[in-house]
Amino acid sequence: MTGTLKPLGAERVWLWAMLAPTILGIIFGTAGSLVASGAISLLKWDLINPASWVGLGNYSQLAVDPKFLASIRVTLEFTALYVPLCIVGSLALALLLNRGGHGQGFFRTMVFAPSITSAVAIGLIFNWIYAKDEGLLNRMIAAVGLPTVNWLGDRNIFFSVTIANVWGALGEGAIILLAGLKSVPATYYEAATIDGASARKKFFSITLPLISPAIFFQVIIATVNALQAFEYIYMLTRRTQGESAMATVVYMVYRNGFRWFSMGLASAQAMILAVVIIALMVVYFRLEKKLVTYD
Amino acid sequence: MIDKIARRRRRPASVPVYLALAIVLVVTAGPFLWMLSTSLKPQADQYDGRFIPARLTLRNYERLISSAPYLLDEVLNSFEISLLNTAGQVVTCAMAGFIFAVFRFKGSKLLFGLLLATFVIPPQVALIPNFIFFSKIGLVGTKLPLWITAFLGGAYGTFLLRQYYTSIPIELAEAGRMDGVTLPGMFFRIYLPLGKPALSALAIITFTGTWNDLIRPLIYLPSQQKLTTLTVGLSLYQATYSGQWTFLMACAVLSVFPILLIFFVAQKQIIEGVALTGIK
Amino acid sequence: MPKKRSLSLAALCCAVACCALLSVSCGGGKKAAGTIKVLNWGNEQEGKVWTDLAADFQKKTGIKAEVETAEWSVYWDKINTLYAANTPPEVFAMDAPLFMDWYTRDALASVQPYLDKDKAFLDGVYPQTLAAYKTDKGYFGLPRDFQTIVLFYNKDMFDAAKVKYPDASWTYDDFRAAAKKLTLKSAAGKITQWGYQADMYDIEGNMSEAVWAYGGEIMNADMTKTALGVKMDSWKLFSEMVHVDKSIPDTDTLAQYGTDAFLAGKVAMISFGHWMVPTYQDVAFKWDVAPLPKGPAGRATSINSAGFVMAKNCKNPDAGWEWIKYVLSKEGQTRLAQLGFAIPIRKEVAESAAFLDQKVKIDQKVFLDAVQYAHMKPVFRGYDQWSSAFGDAMSAFYKPDVKVEKVIADAVAAADAALAKAAK
Repeated sequence: MTGTLKPLGAERVWLWAMLAPTILGIIFGTAGSLVASGAISLLKWDLINPASWVGLGNYSQLAVDPKFLASIRVTLEFTALYVPLCIVGSLALALLLNRGGHGQGFFRTMVFAPSITSAVAIGLIFNWIYAKDEGLLNRMIAAVGLPTVNWLGDRNIFFSVTIANVWGALGEGAIILLAGLKSVPATYYEAATIDGASARKKFFSITLPLISPAIFFQVIIATVNALQAFEYIYMLTRRTQGESAMATVVYMVYRNGFRWFSMGLASAQAMILAVVIIALMVVYFRLEKKLVTYD
Repeated sequence: MIDKIARRRRRPASVPVYLALAIVLVVTAGPFLWMLSTSLKPQADQYDGRFIPARLTLRNYERLISSAPYLLDEVLNSFEISLLNTAGQVVTCAMAGFIFAVFRFKGSKLLFGLLLATFVIPPQVALIPNFIFFSKIGLVGTKLPLWITAFLGGAYGTFLLRQYYTSIPIELAEAGRMDGVTLPGMFFRIYLPLGKPALSALAIITFTGTWNDLIRPLIYLPSQQKLTTLTVGLSLYQATYSGQWTFLMACAVLSVFPILLIFFVAQKQIIEGVALTGIK
Repeated sequence: MPKKRSLSLAALCCAVACCALLSVSCGGGKKAAGTIKVLNWGNEQEGKVWTDLAADFQKKTGIKAEVETAEWSVYWDKINTLYAANTPPEVFAMDAPLFMDWYTRDALASVQPYLDKDKAFLDGVYPQTLAAYKTDKGYFGLPRDFQTIVLFYNKDMFDAAKVKYPDASWTYDDFRAAAKKLTLKSAAGKITQWGYQADMYDIEGNMSEAVWAYGGEIMNADMTKTALGVKMDSWKLFSEMVHVDKSIPDTDTLAQYGTDAFLAGKVAMISFGHWMVPTYQDVAFKWDVAPLPKGPAGRATSINSAGFVMAKNCKNPDAGWEWIKYVLSKEGQTRLAQLGFAIPIRKEVAESAAFLDQKVKIDQKVFLDAVQYAHMKPVFRGYDQWSSAFGDAMSAFYKPDVKVEKVIADAVAAADAALAKAAK
């Protein structure tokens, strides 16, 4: 897991000096945050008046708060839709790019461009594309004589936001999977061709197993991003009152913590989100052993 | 035989593949072009639904300077904060990655394990304690909280660089040591130069990640437009100029342009760097 | 891009815990001089007005006022952030309904000691505007200007549709009939112009005014329960205008034209206060204002003031009071009146040429006459959370398949729940 050289003499001092920022980061950063968040979640505190102890009061309040429960549901539903769309879409794109001959570099660049653009800008652009009558999508739909769709209306907003989000993320996933595809040795395919394997069989018995580590990595990144969704939600679903038509847990943390200054309640929400993420990661790494092939 | 297959795989793609790529291109570039096209229309034409503007104007861009005087400040702030974050992450993660890749010492396994464990703790958990900490020391409303934390390393970057450094033969370090190279010497003369691809990958990921961050600037610099970042600025303009699509799209163009420019110039390194992050 | 995973410098948890228990306090009797920080909400135009006023203030008193004007959407975040950073502004603008929230948080400084020294200061101020800032411990803030809600209408659209301009004789039935006539469709059946814009998320504007006109109330007598669902007539009226007449556009339709479809030339009528007058003075169409329509219980509108309050632990309260005194003086009020964002709280200034002769020639008296039949917006602790919850639940109002009774019942329940939580 770590290197092999034993530090000698002055190296021992240098070694700890170079590790110092990281060690500070672990102690005061993540671990400290976790402990501090846990402690704050037991308080009622608005930063103006002194904090008061409420024990598990914030948690019991959240357990019956329909808005918070709805935000957990929205977050999980969003993740359940976003992750498969991202993975399947990125894989399809990667396979397509891998087939491309001349101009592969150009297509690769274009496909990646959305990933480098800020979600805020993309959200702004999609607001305009999704606009109810005057937006690009409905203009195009109306032009071919079909009934228009209220993309950001109650029924569709969930899918519209997910699609915009996937649009912004596909390129990156595709590039990572493309690198995986390129690292599959050509000899494997060659041997399969000699055995008369179909393209489908080659995909399922060679490509997929061999790039499964890269896919697994993508699944983790996509899941973590989905559970922490905020930017697109903020840009596409924020109502005039500041509430969201599709409030995720992180949106609730933002509202409670930094609009209402309910620091304790917001910390409790963040802690619950952390538990959900950690639990999902444990499940993933259990599944990894069954589904992912290394070498 | 291998040569033949390799050559076969490099030939021009078939018509269906190009057709599919063309569709992908339209879907990818479409929204950007629509943004650009809208931004070049006079406001009176914003609802005309034309992809190619009937009348071209730079009026919206002129208005950026007169009506949104802070936009340039916001671009510069975003640059400043992103660069500082990048510097912090690259320096501290490279040092830690190097140590973990090369040395074995008492507690090294434990420390590396601890670092990896922090990977699964979502950054939102830190949001509130950090805010309270910075508010109590009077730094809320300044840019400092948005970059200082980047100088404390990170699981993602350290892991990425350690992985890359382990692919460098340890004999190089050993040989250097024989020649009396100190530990910092090893880092600066051997590992840093050889690890450039991984370093640039981390730099790019950190830079764009910070550039695109919304929630932290929103918390620390909610409305001081001179001090805040472009993402906060854009979200403010969305509310202030709602319905003025030609102007809003000009704002979007300005925010997208610098980063796309960097991207197109350095796209080969960026894409290779990102690809690197996915390979175990 | 994967989310940046830099570790963050968290609070040392013990440091945080200690901070929680410490309350930093300062302030005291320094003499009025130096620098103060003043925060307002408003647009750029308003920001410029305040900066000009600050320059005059400095000439007069020698106190430098650093005035910052933020958009309403981030204004309160900003105030909260300043409090959290222990650098609250000396003076900040207060929306009257939110006053009780801030007062009960123990975040404001009393201005009563200053008033006690200057007994005649509040003479000639509209009494309706003062009540909101009065507590059992005296005044903790003062109004600086106020708004009454009236009906703005696009004359060109009325002329084109051959509809008589609204006047004092209008009832809500006349209003509905006119709105219907002013709603136009294209040949393809798409609506291109609406009669009225109703923002069914904001208590102020059309909801509370119509509720009062039909004999309803916003809250029960002791401000513990929402009473908006007791009289359903006005809700049914608006609901039918949205879903049957289609003379009110829904929020998604509105969103593409910006938040103000009157400005965009898409609706014929809208109800707003005087704050929109400067924005509308350059529009390409002709417009004017009229009183809101009468209902079965008579005519009603809402009156709402914006005020100034001082933060409890600010550094320079005496200089802060000087600012309030200046803005509320006849001179300061005259300056503000000429800018036309709101109605002056001093009667003599409101009824003077400074307010009545604006650049744009509209019936200014309508705003002043409205004081006679105006109701106060309720002021209670938790108003912010309460109105946010009610407004948010009201987004269902535009759904065609949800009965209006259910929408209101749900919104009232959500508002009451938020109120109960905030009052804890």
